[in-house]
Amino acid sequence: MNKEARLKATINQKLTETGERERLKELLRAKLTECGWKDQMKAQCKEVIKEKGLEHVTVEDLVVEITPKGRALVPDSVKKELLQRIRAFLTQHAS
Amino acid sequence: MSPAGCSHVNGYKVDNWRQNLRVIYQCFVWSGTAETRRRKIGNIFVSTDRREDRSAVRKRDTEKEEKRERTEEERHMSEAQQENHQAKSCICHMCGAHLNRLHSCLYCVFFGCFTKKHIHEHAKNKRHNLAIDLLYGGIYCFVCQDYIYDKDMEQIAKEEQRKAWKLQGIGEKYTTWEPTKRELELFRHNPKRRKITTNCTIGLRGLINLGNTCFMNCIVQALTHTPLLRDFFLSDRHKCEMQSNSCLVCEMSQLFQEFYSGHRSPHIPFRLLHLVWTHARHLAGYEQQDAHEFLIAALDVLHRHCKGDTIKDDNGKKTNNPNHCNCIIDQIFTGGLQSDVTCQVCHGVSTTIDPFWDISLDLPGSPTPFWPLSPGGDGSTVNGENHLSGSTTLTDCLRRFTRPEHLGSNAKIKCGGCHSYQESTKQLTMKKLPIVACFHLKRFEHSAKLRRKITTYVSFPLELDMTPFMASSKESRVNGQYQQSVDVLNNDNKYSLFAVVNHQGTLESGHYTSFIRQHKDQWFKCDDAIITKASIKDVLDSEGYLLFYHKQFLEYE
Repeated sequence: MNKEARLKATINQKLTETGERERLKELLRAKLTECGWKDQMKAQCKEVIKEKGLEHVTVEDLVVEITPKGRALVPDSVKKELLQRIRAFLTQHAS
Repeated sequence: MSPAGCSHVNGYKVDNWRQNLRVIYQCFVWSGTAETRRRKIGNIFVSTDRREDRSAVRKRDTEKEEKRERTEEERHMSEAQQENHQAKSCICHMCGAHLNRLHSCLYCVFFGCFTKKHIHEHAKNKRHNLAIDLLYGGIYCFVCQDYIYDKDMEQIAKEEQRKAWKLQGIGEKYTTWEPTKRELELFRHNPKRRKITTNCTIGLRGLINLGNTCFMNCIVQALTHTPLLRDFFLSDRHKCEMQSNSCLVCEMSQLFQEFYSGHRSPHIPFRLLHLVWTHARHLAGYEQQDAHEFLIAALDVLHRHCKGDTIKDDNGKKTNNPNHCNCIIDQIFTGGLQSDVTCQVCHGVSTTIDPFWDISLDLPGSPTPFWPLSPGGDGSTVNGENHLSGSTTLTDCLRRFTRPEHLGSNAKIKCGGCHSYQESTKQLTMKKLPIVACFHLKRFEHSAKLRRKITTYVSFPLELDMTPFMASSKESRVNGQYQQSVDVLNNDNKYSLFAVVNHQGTLESGHYTSFIRQHKDQWFKCDDAIITKASIKDVLDSEGYLLFYHKQFLEYE
């Protein structure tokens, strides 16, 4: 594992141990629902299912189609807020 | 995908598979968070030899466990253990990454990325064809090449998720409704469906005036449009235990049936009126009564008649204690008002909490002065606002209601700390907010000298945040000004307006009408039998006598 990967893993471990990861997830969930992103994604999923047909569509089909759209549609304000929270957490737990 | 899942799970569902699956969910998918570590953990799953078969690992550990205390709780891993496992062991065994849609093999101790196909390789090599998504708990079958939905496994997943939420302090979360077998039967036997569109007027119905009964009609409109009350009655939750035919709750139930029947002709509430006269004598007669008095009387009778729906205590006896009633009326309308009396000498505080169904607010123009807001303060510049030019708001009234009031030398209270009569200040705040908050603007003055109606315009908002008036916010008040620190994620105290009762005319001869909210932004004016569409502006410009607010966010218990 290279240095960057190791750093990522350490941060993730700290976040999980302290429960901060769950809290951040909840915050993100709330924000994405509020700004309508979740509804947009639901609509996109329905489109893909219509296209592929209900009997034949797999979860993988949806993941492949929706992931890039989902990533692009996250509002900058939400990204900013999450980053701020993570930064604050890291400063607090710097060791 | 059929609810029976795929046939390939049958190879997995042997021996103690349920318990094994539960442990996987508890350790790696939804683990409860631990605030403190309770015990040091022995590594059960992260063994040095990762290729050990799961069954061998479990056998070794059951032997270990037999040496320790065997309690029910220990079979469910402690939160600290789960935390530790999830943090340290949830990485791909091939590349070490913790992202990339990590999956765990169901047949052995192997974690692999889905995105990088590491888990797919493992499945092919070992012929272990089931894996679980550690992020969402879905079960993937490599033969079917899709996620499968096995009823038994779904059941386990749901239960473990609920347990984890409880441990995390999240409590119950919203999950979509799924019909039970019985409900599916009912649906099949009753094929008629009624679709609620945005323009649907179901639930709206006029009420005939039976002779100055507009005061009753308005309250009925407000109650039939209280969402929780409507849900209670439409789902037949009232079990009547009254022998006679005079149960007001049964009549309310009938009323809801009438309102949601789809009939558009006005309803004639003669039975309701008769029952009200029977149970609230002081309201009998054909004179115009006070809508607020009627509201309180109606809630009181409904609360008393709800005996059949109260919860039973441990001995199976009904709790008839008025302080511990859990009837629908109490659940929806009852709040707790905290009264703090502070002795001016020893600063000891004596606190009482009283239940309330409504908050009666004084208005400017009443005999007791509205301003100043705080003892010794100058009325015109409190909070930096100039009240003399602007109109009064509901918030102003609430601020006045919850201000510390100096009780004066004529009203000394016996202080428990000083053991003597001392001057004191009294302050009212909200200890517990009801789901439906009803504000009563005291427009009718019945003092010894005169009887008049105060028509001062009071502006009220569509959305109201009650946080500044809570007992818990009291401490953040400094010198009569209060800092409003808005916690974005705390939605407990946010309310939405859903009904307004107005009085037009004078004390001697007047008429009640109401505005009620049908869907999110659709308001209607109810003038006895006549229902007309109203704009939000109409509602907010009206004088306002009784204001009904509903909590925006409801918590599951």
